[in-house]
Amino acid sequence: MPAEEMGKLTGRTRLIFAISSVVFLAVLAISPFKDFRREWKQYKRSYLRLAQTRPDTKKLLADYRRDIDQIWLPGMNVIDRCTTCHQGITQASLSDSAVPQPFRAHPPIPHNVRDWGCTVCHRGQGPATEVAEAHESTLAWEQPILPTRLIQASCGTCHYADLPQTPQLTKGRELLAELNCQGCHRLPGVERPAMLGPDLTNVGMKVSREWIYKWLKEPRTIVDKDGNVTVNGYETEEEPRMPKFRLTETELRGLSAYLSIQKAKSFVPYKIDAHLVAAWSKNPELASQGELRFRQMFCSTCHSLAVTRAGETKLIGGDIGPELTKVGSKVNTDWLVTWLRDPHGYLPHTKMPRYGWSDEDLYKVTQYITTKLTDSDLLTGVAQLGQPTEDEIQLGHRLFLEKGCASCHVIEGLNPQKDFGPDLSAIGGKNASELEFGAAKIPHNLVTYIQAKLQDPTSVNPAARMPQYNWNQADLDAITTALLSMKSAPPTSALQNLVVPRKEVAFRPTGAFAEVYERYKCYTCHKFNGYGGDLAPELTYEGSRAQRQWIVDFLKNPQTLRPTLVLRMPQFNMSDKDAATLADYMTMVLQHPAANPAAIDARQFTPAMAALGKQLYEVKYQCQSCHTIGGTGGYVGPNLNNAGGWLTPAWIEGWLRNPQDLVPDTIEPRRNFTEAEVNALTAYLMTLRQSIKPQKTATSAGSHAAAQGAGQ
Amino acid sequence: MKFRFWISALLLITIAAISGCRKHAEAPKPDPLFSAYDTEPDWTDAQKIIPLSYQQSQGKRIFYQQCVWCHADATPAGPSNRSNLRPVPPLLNDGATLNTESDAFMQNIITLGGSALGKSAMMPPYGKMLSTEEIRSVIAFTRAVAQPPYQPPGRPASQYSAK
Repeated sequence: MPAEEMGKLTGRTRLIFAISSVVFLAVLAISPFKDFRREWKQYKRSYLRLAQTRPDTKKLLADYRRDIDQIWLPGMNVIDRCTTCHQGITQASLSDSAVPQPFRAHPPIPHNVRDWGCTVCHRGQGPATEVAEAHESTLAWEQPILPTRLIQASCGTCHYADLPQTPQLTKGRELLAELNCQGCHRLPGVERPAMLGPDLTNVGMKVSREWIYKWLKEPRTIVDKDGNVTVNGYETEEEPRMPKFRLTETELRGLSAYLSIQKAKSFVPYKIDAHLVAAWSKNPELASQGELRFRQMFCSTCHSLAVTRAGETKLIGGDIGPELTKVGSKVNTDWLVTWLRDPHGYLPHTKMPRYGWSDEDLYKVTQYITTKLTDSDLLTGVAQLGQPTEDEIQLGHRLFLEKGCASCHVIEGLNPQKDFGPDLSAIGGKNASELEFGAAKIPHNLVTYIQAKLQDPTSVNPAARMPQYNWNQADLDAITTALLSMKSAPPTSALQNLVVPRKEVAFRPTGAFAEVYERYKCYTCHKFNGYGGDLAPELTYEGSRAQRQWIVDFLKNPQTLRPTLVLRMPQFNMSDKDAATLADYMTMVLQHPAANPAAIDARQFTPAMAALGKQLYEVKYQCQSCHTIGGTGGYVGPNLNNAGGWLTPAWIEGWLRNPQDLVPDTIEPRRNFTEAEVNALTAYLMTLRQSIKPQKTATSAGSHAAAQGAGQ
Repeated sequence: MKFRFWISALLLITIAAISGCRKHAEAPKPDPLFSAYDTEPDWTDAQKIIPLSYQQSQGKRIFYQQCVWCHADATPAGPSNRSNLRPVPPLLNDGATLNTESDAFMQNIITLGGSALGKSAMMPPYGKMLSTEEIRSVIAFTRAVAQPPYQPPGRPASQYSAK
């Protein structure tokens, strides 16, 4: 290469070098520009602009941090940079809903954000500094933030015990237990009861094959085109416990055949003396007297009936037992008599109490049920299925196991498959990639999956065995919340220490009381030491509250203390001996440590004190806004007509000083009474007496009116 | 040769420009359910759903435990006690009555009871039962359901429309 050409080349190289240097510098300059434009820095700047417009600019600027801010809690696995953008989170002056997000203050909650971080409750990707990465699910992070309407799920990941602030979570947990989800799924904290669905060992004695066929086809739930749920043709708000299975005609025939031959136990029908029956059956008022007895015994507390008023048909009554509007067309009469007389002989774990029937009452009520609670059209549309064939029975037997029927219903001698459905104890922490979405066109995340599966199990998996439930949005969200809270054991020991365990609530009485307690199934409606139903008042401290004689009289003839209640304590026809056994146990064992009835002598109350108490009651504190005395007063609290014959003075005084000390969730507000006022009010209340001894005619009429009233 | 140079220069600049203007991830569309802790149907129009903030939702919980018995026409247990009382207590959503009362007055009457403020003694005091924060949340819930809608003093209405 000649020298001058070399020189030329060098000249051109220089030019290229110069230009590329400029370009390189320009490219380098892009980097700080990009850094300046980063999303979180933009939020920093707009926060500064917001701070300038606020009255407390100085304080806001003093707390301002220029860089990425993070909450680092190594023991809890928390590295949350959320506060980089959510800068006003601890500034009380920014709590106003007019402050734009992401700068608004966090609402006041029991946990301090600096001690807990954000993702512990809200989920999402803590270390991320971009909105989309922090909030949504990405390829690298599959736990998007929880929708706020389901946020109570996060409370439940540590608080296994129920909290008053999380009604939705509590409702969801109750629904899981009530709908017997634990029949097929393993659920943490939901105990499997002795009986989920009815025991079917002897079901062939009770109902016909045709009835079983219809029940399986439409388990009393029908959803019409407008989404109204009906039970046996009546609208209801309660989700029936038996869900709808998607069964084919052959499957229906097989299962009905198999179930209709279940007559394992020898069954001895209870026979009432034929002479007596002959005499009673001439009574033209038979069914209406049976109906009166049915009402007086308050069967409606557990069983509902369809009632038509002003052209509108509604189910009235409780939902502890089955709805009975058409039960006369369902069950066999011999079975019914035997069942009513001793339910525990047929189903040892039933919630139905054993009543003390007289033969006459038993006959009348049976007549009422079998002649009035009927529907001749109940089985229309169901073909006569005839005698079950061997093939049908074989098929039914197989289906009973394969469809999961055996997970909730016991048939003696039949062993159900263990853990029939998936274990749900860690469902709340599942990643989207672990879930099967099938052909469902929904966003792929855990919340949409759970809700789609609950609403229609086949939408995410056409071969799903899970039956069909009907949810309203509130129940769907409640149960989703409960499922999302189940994230298995917390991963780090620091978090494990935070778990608030569920209270052990077993109440296992012994002796004579236990026998009566089991016979009348008191725990179906009442709680004892936190164990039992919540339909009726908790009885844990009943011995401190009520006088022994009142308990005996009440058990013999229960009358409600709250005039607006629809559901009332049934009339058990209890013997004197049973009532005494219950009352003795209550007064001796069910005592509150702070209210000892023996500590206060009622003789200390003078008429002058009572007069002052009356004055306080009626004028100064106007207790009549909530309580009734005589014919006037409010309906919120119990009526006090018989306060002196019902309550112990020790209980009244303790209650007036601090109601929540005796019954933590009572709504009676705690007042600021002086000690003299407490004594005076107690003295006054102890003067109020009214007999609750049964008066034959008056009570019958009264109960009838009450039952009528209950139906409104 | 010159042509090749200009091409490469142009290419470099384009790459630089593109990388500089990286598209920002679009902010997620605001889902109304993401911002509501709970909802309450408008008492006068059940079709209209009012979204509630955290504080209002706490107020709703307390209202339905403590206040509903006398300040609503239907209660969880059925009929209401409201018609039994003279003077008749205002309905919770009675904006015509309650909107004119200040937050401080509401806080006082709930804390101290009616008699302390010259109103009916039938309104009991809740100061020993509910915390200041809980009472504040009940007031927030009252404001949320008020009909006609509540407008806080001294602020334009638009700031408080929905949310």
